[in-house]
Amino acid sequence: MADMVRAHARDLRRATDTGKRVEYLAFTLGSQIYAVPIQHIAEILKPPPVTEIPRAPRNVVGIISVRGKLVTVIDLRRRFGLIEAPFDRSTRILLSDTGDDEPIGLLVDEVIQVYRLSEQEIEPAAALGGDQPAYILGIGRQDDVLLVLLELKSLIES
Amino acid sequence: MADFGFESSDRKEEFFSEAQEIVDALGKLLLDVEVTVAESRVDPDVINEMFRAVHTLKGIAGLFGATRMSGMSHELENILDDVRMGRLDLTAAVLDLLFRAVDLYTHILLFERGDAPDPEHQIAALLSSFARVTQPDEAPTSNIFTQFDLDPGLFGVLTEYEEHRLKSNIESGLALFRLRVRFSLMVLDSALEDLKKKAKPLGEIITYLPAPSTDESDFENLELDILMASKCPTSLIETTLSIEGLVVNPVLRRVGGAPPPKHGPPKSNTPLPKIGGAPSMPPPTIAGPPRLPRDLIPDSVATPAPSRKSSRPGSRHSLTPAGGAGQAAQFVGKSAAQTTVRVDIRKLDRLMTILGELAIVRSAVGRLAERFRGSVEHRELGGDLHRLHRTFERHLGQMQNGILEVRMVQLGPVFDKLQRGLRAISREYSRPVNLVITGQETEIDKLIVEELSDPLMHMVRNAFDHGIEDLEDRIKVGKPEVGTVALNAFQKGNHVVIEVEDDGRGMDPKLIIASAIRKGVITESESGEMSARDAYRLVFVPGFSTKAVVTDLSGRGVGLDVVKTNISRLGGIVDITSDVGIGTKMTITLPVTLAIINVLIVELAGRSFAIPLASVEEAFVYEPARTRNVEGREVLSLRGQSLPICNLLKLLHLNTFDDEGRKYYVVTVAVGIRRLGLLVDRLEGQQDIVIKPLGRSLKAVRGFSGAAELGDQRVALVIDVAAIVEEVLAGDQGRYLAIAGDGRG
Repeated sequence: MADMVRAHARDLRRATDTGKRVEYLAFTLGSQIYAVPIQHIAEILKPPPVTEIPRAPRNVVGIISVRGKLVTVIDLRRRFGLIEAPFDRSTRILLSDTGDDEPIGLLVDEVIQVYRLSEQEIEPAAALGGDQPAYILGIGRQDDVLLVLLELKSLIES
Repeated sequence: MADFGFESSDRKEEFFSEAQEIVDALGKLLLDVEVTVAESRVDPDVINEMFRAVHTLKGIAGLFGATRMSGMSHELENILDDVRMGRLDLTAAVLDLLFRAVDLYTHILLFERGDAPDPEHQIAALLSSFARVTQPDEAPTSNIFTQFDLDPGLFGVLTEYEEHRLKSNIESGLALFRLRVRFSLMVLDSALEDLKKKAKPLGEIITYLPAPSTDESDFENLELDILMASKCPTSLIETTLSIEGLVVNPVLRRVGGAPPPKHGPPKSNTPLPKIGGAPSMPPPTIAGPPRLPRDLIPDSVATPAPSRKSSRPGSRHSLTPAGGAGQAAQFVGKSAAQTTVRVDIRKLDRLMTILGELAIVRSAVGRLAERFRGSVEHRELGGDLHRLHRTFERHLGQMQNGILEVRMVQLGPVFDKLQRGLRAISREYSRPVNLVITGQETEIDKLIVEELSDPLMHMVRNAFDHGIEDLEDRIKVGKPEVGTVALNAFQKGNHVVIEVEDDGRGMDPKLIIASAIRKGVITESESGEMSARDAYRLVFVPGFSTKAVVTDLSGRGVGLDVVKTNISRLGGIVDITSDVGIGTKMTITLPVTLAIINVLIVELAGRSFAIPLASVEEAFVYEPARTRNVEGREVLSLRGQSLPICNLLKLLHLNTFDDEGRKYYVVTVAVGIRRLGLLVDRLEGQQDIVIKPLGRSLKAVRGFSGAAELGDQRVALVIDVAAIVEEVLAGDQGRYLAIAGDGRG
């Protein structure tokens, strides 16, 4: 009970003193947690059979059919230069929805939860120092969790 | 250009397609008119229809803020009005300009879509050319009417157009008649329409006016006074029109022939000829009888569009609904508008996708039925399910055919465009040519039609430029002076065949081969084995052109190879037959539809791939012993021909774990003149698939034209045979010609 009250108070405080909040969907790749604005994710899929495309760009895992539409799936591990991991029970494909662009499937290790971050909880990418790629929005911090916030459009295009 | 909001994009699309339809119709009318001009009998109805088409274009262009279009339409309207009124003769020069206007309309539409530069200057140029040819005929209106015993008050109510029609009919020696009919108000529209139809073969109805009724108490019926020109005798008119209560009276020519005074009606005349037995008709009054409700006169029977110049006081224009809307309805109403709908093809694609899904569900149900039938306790259930499944399958097939049918459009509009194009080049080069068209009603997938007009235009130009000889040459060999290009289309099974045929000089295989050797396309030794048929195929090789003189039209070395590439992209093939001195025939064979294709499913390193069956010639077991290595390429001898072999595994960089003990198959594919044997692991069978494009992120990937679902969630890539053949055989063009014994190219 005390926990719930405290949590509620925390939520209230956040809602009142920090104003606008954005929801982020967090997922893991290896040991790192990443998050993308949830309004850009249309769906979370358990991976159907993926048809590989010979001679496709390296990041592309292949294509899947989502209710009759072909969707290109990219492996975020390959995208970030991590070692590829075999599919397991927690592997998911995030279906992007960035408006005008065609939907893209993003292969991730595991989907964790949704974070509601206020502006105060987000540090700009420059805080990481050096030149950061355009697809990194910034770093989110909440309750000792560190999230690398990603911008989908430039992530997909680059 | 108006600011189209996002939500109005559908309406914008509708505007484009409607406008394009009208422009196409206008082009067709123009071709009709050209024929009638040549035979010096211009059908005024066709001119009117053109006028209305332009008027409608002006109306809808105004509505959508397409100012270039409405501006040009406004000017064209004036010009066509002058033609209608006989103020301007339809000379060849005027016709040329009208044809140019039709093409310019298409350009304007492209511009409005943002696909073409602003045609402002072309419009200005066209309009100034029009200004040069349209010096209005200032001859005073001759008083030809006064030869007739007509009520002068009548002229007060004739529109300028009607007056012109009356005049031209009298000038061509027709007699005039006054008809009196009585129609029920309830059926006035259809009765008038019917009357016009019946009268058409006899002559022309100049005008009809509501006549004051002879029976004041009769509110059910309306009497009409009709002025008609005809060369038929009274009795024939009576019997042909066969309307109850019809009275036909010839309008007498004045005796003596002395022309009456030029101005003012002759006073001695009775206003109207007496109708035997019937009470005399009072002259139609200017104000018109009050009892004719506006909406009872349909647009199509009312006078043609109000002309800008006929603003005589009291003319009957008030009877026609004014404004663009009415005119638009009138034009569209010509074809059965009420029973047709315009559909965005993407909507049909969506339906097709859903149908593809249903087909997958169907096959799952089928598998389930089989499983039940195989089990002891569910056999009966399995039988029922199996029957249901069969019914489902049948209806699904019907639905698929239904949707495919909706996608079908006639080739007519494409042929009309070709006709206009050929006409333009024929005039430009002052070399007359006949175009004979058959089978324009042949139907083909809308998407194919859109890709077809450019290659066809090229072939027609090619026939004109390379085929048809100069006048002197034709006379020398005793051919008709005017050359003929024929366009024939017909359906043959699941394919549509289009032939472009000319009666020109034909193609000499020896000259082609010589030229090919000179250009290094083939070697001397290869040429020795070539048949005439193989030689014709050489003209499709890039950079090949035989005519010595390069002209604007064709012969620039780009052309037929592009034609061939475009046609093969549509899954079609091009073939040539020719007789020296007699002519050349190029034949395009295309699938009826692109939406569903029949494919051969093959397995390669555990993955399924689809190869369009249209490109597959045969498949057989691979025997390494029969191959040899020629210049680093594995080549198989097959019935005396060399077939280059492509190991898809290597080409596509596919990894496989067990390379040993596999049984290979060779699938022979052909694209135009080239053949290639593809090595695959296994043949799975053939299937109808709905092909879907790969996403934009994969557009750089070569070798696949799309993918398709095979059921059980599996997706197979569809091999782009043309691209693979191109990739593998690039560099040795012409070396491995597809010389199939069965005559396929």
